[in-house]
Amino acid sequence: MSDTTVPLESQTGHRSLLLPDEKLKKRRRSETWFKMLGLGAVITGLFFLVILIASIVYNGVPAFTQTYLTIPVTLPAEKLDKVGNRNPSDMRKVSTFGYKPLLEQALIDTLADRGIEMPFDDAGILADLLSDGAAAGVRRQVLDNPDLVGQTVEFDLLASSRIDGYYKGRVDRASVNRGMVLTSVHLDVADALKEEGLVERRFNLDFIIGADASDNRPEQAGVGVALLGSLFMILVVVALAVPIGVAAAIYLEEFAPQNRFTDLIEVNISNLAAVPSIVFGILGLAAFIQFANLPQSAPLVGGLVLTLMSLPQIIIPARAALKAVPPSIRQAALGIGASRNQMVFQHVLPLAMPGILTGVIISLAQALGETAPLLLIGMVGYIASNYPDGFLDGFVSPNSALPAQIYEWSKRADPAFYERAWGGIIVLLVFMLAVNILAVVLRRRFERRW
Amino acid sequence: MDAMAHTDQISMSQSETLTEASDNKIAARSVDVFYGKNHAIKNVDVDIDDKTVTAFIGPSGCGKSTFLRCLNRMNDTIDIARVEGDILLDGEDIYDKRVDPVQLRARVGMVFQKPNPFPKSIYDNVAYGPRIHGLTRNKSELDDIVEASLRRAALWDEAKDRLKESGTGMSGGQQQRLCIARAVATQPEVLLMDEPCSALDPIATAQIEELIDELRQNFCVVIVTHSMQQAARVSQKTAFFHLGEMVEYGDTEKIFNSPEDKRTESYITGRIG
Repeated sequence: MSDTTVPLESQTGHRSLLLPDEKLKKRRRSETWFKMLGLGAVITGLFFLVILIASIVYNGVPAFTQTYLTIPVTLPAEKLDKVGNRNPSDMRKVSTFGYKPLLEQALIDTLADRGIEMPFDDAGILADLLSDGAAAGVRRQVLDNPDLVGQTVEFDLLASSRIDGYYKGRVDRASVNRGMVLTSVHLDVADALKEEGLVERRFNLDFIIGADASDNRPEQAGVGVALLGSLFMILVVVALAVPIGVAAAIYLEEFAPQNRFTDLIEVNISNLAAVPSIVFGILGLAAFIQFANLPQSAPLVGGLVLTLMSLPQIIIPARAALKAVPPSIRQAALGIGASRNQMVFQHVLPLAMPGILTGVIISLAQALGETAPLLLIGMVGYIASNYPDGFLDGFVSPNSALPAQIYEWSKRADPAFYERAWGGIIVLLVFMLAVNILAVVLRRRFERRW
Repeated sequence: MDAMAHTDQISMSQSETLTEASDNKIAARSVDVFYGKNHAIKNVDVDIDDKTVTAFIGPSGCGKSTFLRCLNRMNDTIDIARVEGDILLDGEDIYDKRVDPVQLRARVGMVFQKPNPFPKSIYDNVAYGPRIHGLTRNKSELDDIVEASLRRAALWDEAKDRLKESGTGMSGGQQQRLCIARAVATQPEVLLMDEPCSALDPIATAQIEELIDELRQNFCVVIVTHSMQQAARVSQKTAFFHLGEMVEYGDTEKIFNSPEDKRTESYITGRIG
């Protein structure tokens, strides 16, 4: 048999296998198309994921470093400690405004010292290089260590957000002149300071543990307090939604009789899962704040709202996980004389645990990322400017949540806040990643073969 | 422990014999079972002897498994199932309102079609029943029960070195014997077996059949099987079910050699089923 001639029939008289079949070709073609389509979808998805992660990292990573100016500051005793006994409670009487002239003088001295020309008439304008919070930082360090008074000490002074942005490449000469605060002359001074090695950019721990700051101090804003708010809310959700949701799922799946009433409950739970979260927000406002008189902006209320939102999302997968436990295990338990309760809690529930946990963790992650309902109950971003006093206060003292804080920053005019918003998203994603890893670990622990 | 349980059961069945004047372990009287509107079991009367293997045979869907499940009230777990008539265990109606099916199932153990060990260790599988029923006071008593039960299920030699390993890691035949050991461990009086060999290979089947013959010395065994050869091999009494009715019931030898009913004969000879 040669390669060029294809026989129509095999030796036994059947249609030859070597003969191409038009219909089969068509079937094969559609298979190839579908494979390519699927591969294309996966590649597109990956492409966008890469873009997403790259842009988040590119925009957000600068928030994790902050610029400081290393300047020697003279701390005269006659100004800072008039009593003269280095007693912090007396020294507290000197406010931040008392420290501000010291910093201005220190800047002028440094310029003179390093042979940099002082371009401004007013020292106050030169001091715009520094953050409004720089004086407060010096004051805190002096109060912590009163012996510094009377000496000249090198301080790392927080630079203003524009200067920080200039070193990070966010601000340039054209854009800085559009603002009201700094001019390109400031940037010349900044360049000169950098040449002298007085500029340091270092890891910004305050961004992760700090509180939100007012509109004109973006360089001081941090996610720490909002992160605590999120944490307290999640505690409320874990304490309420998980036991209630799992118990409801067990009751409905294992104990409830099949009748119209339970059907109605089932339909309602499924529908609740599809209700927009903002509806839960306004429900929380009406029920918890206006009716039950719980405090506004409190993580307790936020946690309650998120509990309502999470319940259907916990119940539905938990029921599915319970339903997926093979009936043979139930029969084995019942056949040996286990009560229904023993069957559920000793056999069915342990086997359903991985599935239940998956649902719980997905719903917790979703609750963690929820913004809209929190805005309605007053957990807006700028509230998160004070730490709670202790554990219990954390539930009731006004606070925000991480996503609401990010939203707040994204609304503010200063691009420095925009950078912080991206940084906040990185913190949120790392938080989520940690929760997801925990989920995987827990699942592995509970997973059993049968 | 083993021997004590044995004599307990003998003395119990003797006293029952005196009071009831019969050695029927189970007596069913005009039992009907409905699944919703489906009439699955029609007016079945049967007396099942103690220390005997009784086989229920019949074509698929004839109701033999349904009837078996009435004997330990496993049908209770199906919402739409309804049982009418009387089923007496040692003269007591098991469908009496005062009877808790959990208590009943401790006395009427069950082995299922598909081996269904718990995903726990071999030891815990066997010990589960005695634990929940509070049959033992301490660990060594429990150890004794586990060993005795595994021995009865002819599994001790294979399992004694791997008691801590998962029961689901055993072969199918071993798993089924583990399920038998688990059922035996609660020290029941009756063992119900719902096609216990249908998921097993011929060698495992032979082992289980041999085991069933040994279990007869201590238990009243009722086995549902779709294999006539199996019924002939292991049982002393056979009941033939067809379309929800019990057509014929008697000594296995008689059912297979000289059936009275035409339908039984047709089934035995392979014309229906």
